[in-house]
Amino acid sequence: MFDRILIANRGEIALRVIRTAREMGIECVAVYSDVDDRALHTRMAHVAVPLGGRTPAESYLDQDKIIAAALRTGAQAIHPGYGFLSERAAFAQRVKDAGLVWIGPPPSAIDAMGDKIDSRRAMVKAGVPCVPGLTDPVDDPAAAAEAAKGIGFPICIKASAGGGGKGIRVVREPGDLTSAFKAASSEALTSFGDGRVYLERYLDQPRHIEVQVLFDAHGNGVHLFERECSIQRRHQKLVEEAPSVVIDPETRRKMGEVALRAAAAVGYEGAGTVEFLWSKGEFFFLEMNTRLQVEHPVTEMITGIDLVREQLRVAAGEPLGYTQEALTPRGHAIEVRVNAENPFQGFLPSTGTISNLRTPGGPWTRLDSAMYRGMEVGLAYDPMLAKLIVWGPNREQAIARMVRAIQETNVGGVHTSLPAALQVLQHPAFRAGDFDTHFLEGLTIQSPEAYEALIAVGAAIHRHRLAKRRALAPSASERAGWTARARSEVTGLVQRAGTQEVSR
Amino acid sequence: MKTFVQVNGRTREVELVERLGELVVTVDGAPFEVSYNEVDAYGQVILLHKGEGFALSIEGDGHTTAVTLAGHRYDCALEDERERAANLAARAAAKGGGPVKAVMPGVVLELLVQPGDTVSEGQPLLILEAMKMQNEIGAPGPGVVVTLHVEAGQAVAAGDKLLTLKGLE
Repeated sequence: MFDRILIANRGEIALRVIRTAREMGIECVAVYSDVDDRALHTRMAHVAVPLGGRTPAESYLDQDKIIAAALRTGAQAIHPGYGFLSERAAFAQRVKDAGLVWIGPPPSAIDAMGDKIDSRRAMVKAGVPCVPGLTDPVDDPAAAAEAAKGIGFPICIKASAGGGGKGIRVVREPGDLTSAFKAASSEALTSFGDGRVYLERYLDQPRHIEVQVLFDAHGNGVHLFERECSIQRRHQKLVEEAPSVVIDPETRRKMGEVALRAAAAVGYEGAGTVEFLWSKGEFFFLEMNTRLQVEHPVTEMITGIDLVREQLRVAAGEPLGYTQEALTPRGHAIEVRVNAENPFQGFLPSTGTISNLRTPGGPWTRLDSAMYRGMEVGLAYDPMLAKLIVWGPNREQAIARMVRAIQETNVGGVHTSLPAALQVLQHPAFRAGDFDTHFLEGLTIQSPEAYEALIAVGAAIHRHRLAKRRALAPSASERAGWTARARSEVTGLVQRAGTQEVSR
Repeated sequence: MKTFVQVNGRTREVELVERLGELVVTVDGAPFEVSYNEVDAYGQVILLHKGEGFALSIEGDGHTTAVTLAGHRYDCALEDERERAANLAARAAAKGGGPVKAVMPGVVLELLVQPGDTVSEGQPLLILEAMKMQNEIGAPGPGVVVTLHVEAGQAVAAGDKLLTLKGLE
């Protein structure tokens, strides 16, 4: 096993990796940008190396700086977390070329799954079911309109090099195709430096269900069942759970087998996620994420397996040491993302300083968080501040536990997505398990009317107190007088002390 | 002292009178039994109302205040009588138009309208990029574009004026 690893990431995922590594007796090297010089991950690592720079490109995306930091601190391996460099095959290769271990899949597997068009071709060949559509990129709106006739509306335009919901547009009417094509292509170009897009059929009432897989370097692979991630907005997930209410044991077994086949087709190693779209009993391959996912804790909660520990063990060359038969899902887990965004104004990003923080606790309640009081939330990085995860013996109890945990939590100074998650968890359709990926978009987030009068009174008294405090506060001229007197007083004392010193 | 508090689009008139050091509160003219207890200096407050305690987190400057109760967040806008009169007059003068402000910091990517254009409610006015996402900023209501305050490529902070609309007659 490694003695020391470098974590090429920030925020809660850097902390997540540091925690398991420390438990395994592995020392951790953190890296940080100028913006993050006080961040929690720099404080919880054994060593923290400044990368300098304020933008991701100057820091967490700078491959030279990160490899140099690893070599200088004697780290033997690099864990990329998610986002940033985690799915850059070229970086993985450079890490290996530098004589370091890459804690992730082989660069060839990242490459094979990284391009949506190539991966789709590989999956069709491996006998994995895919959504009807084109595997080739379309060059212009006219070609797209022609191709759309063969696929049928609604149609989804996606970036070839995409991910994270960027460069994706849904078109319901042929008339909207041209503008959507241009928007998707330009967004893909700015986000990924690659403006190529392709088309596919948009499935009705789809659910986003994904399967966690785990492979060692000796050809052994297991799946760790599914995660239901349908509560999302603009393809950004908000609430995730495991297992899914629509998956019966037989479908679970089938999906797991297909996921293993998909990963094996590209020679996968380590932890990965095969994403599926589920629609009315059918499921189709969407893409594979060749890294640890944000929502991996729900799988950990129902399987009892620490996925980061498994990643480190596999990277160090250890065999898995167990087979599919040894794994059984137990109970139900839910995760809610705490994003700095305003759910009352279309989930727009929210910035500020975290002025007040009350974190939840209690049985089977886990908070993976990078927040601290005084933290500045800016626009430089992803808006996700933390993840709240709970486990319960069944779905009903897990929901009740999550509602309770959200009610305990307070993040002051910025808007967060928590009120939206609370509303989802209290919604009868969510409780009945009756929802799809459009559920959140159709929800108007509003806090209950019942408390409005109480809230209004609280706010009015708060204002009254603020005004009173201002009125009672000494005026500027008075303050200056106080300060001047205090200063002369102190100066006097110092002089007296000095005199005594001399006279002694 | 009267305060007009807008929560969830509804305005309530809260009157606070200090009598012998105690606050006497009425909401829309009806007495409201309440005791306000500060827990700390970071906005943690316990409101006692009809024998029940409610733990609130309150933050803000007195004009815009956010109150959180058991996971529910309420964004409140507060005005006293003088401010309310001034704001009502300003709104009447703008006839439903007025400035469109940035609700988040970002960069103006593209302007989709010109001064003199007539726009309908919800029509995209410009594209604001924040956190690598492109957000269309729509017209709050029908009107005519009077002035553009920004140009493409310009960075804006939350609350900055983007453009000014004049309401339709």
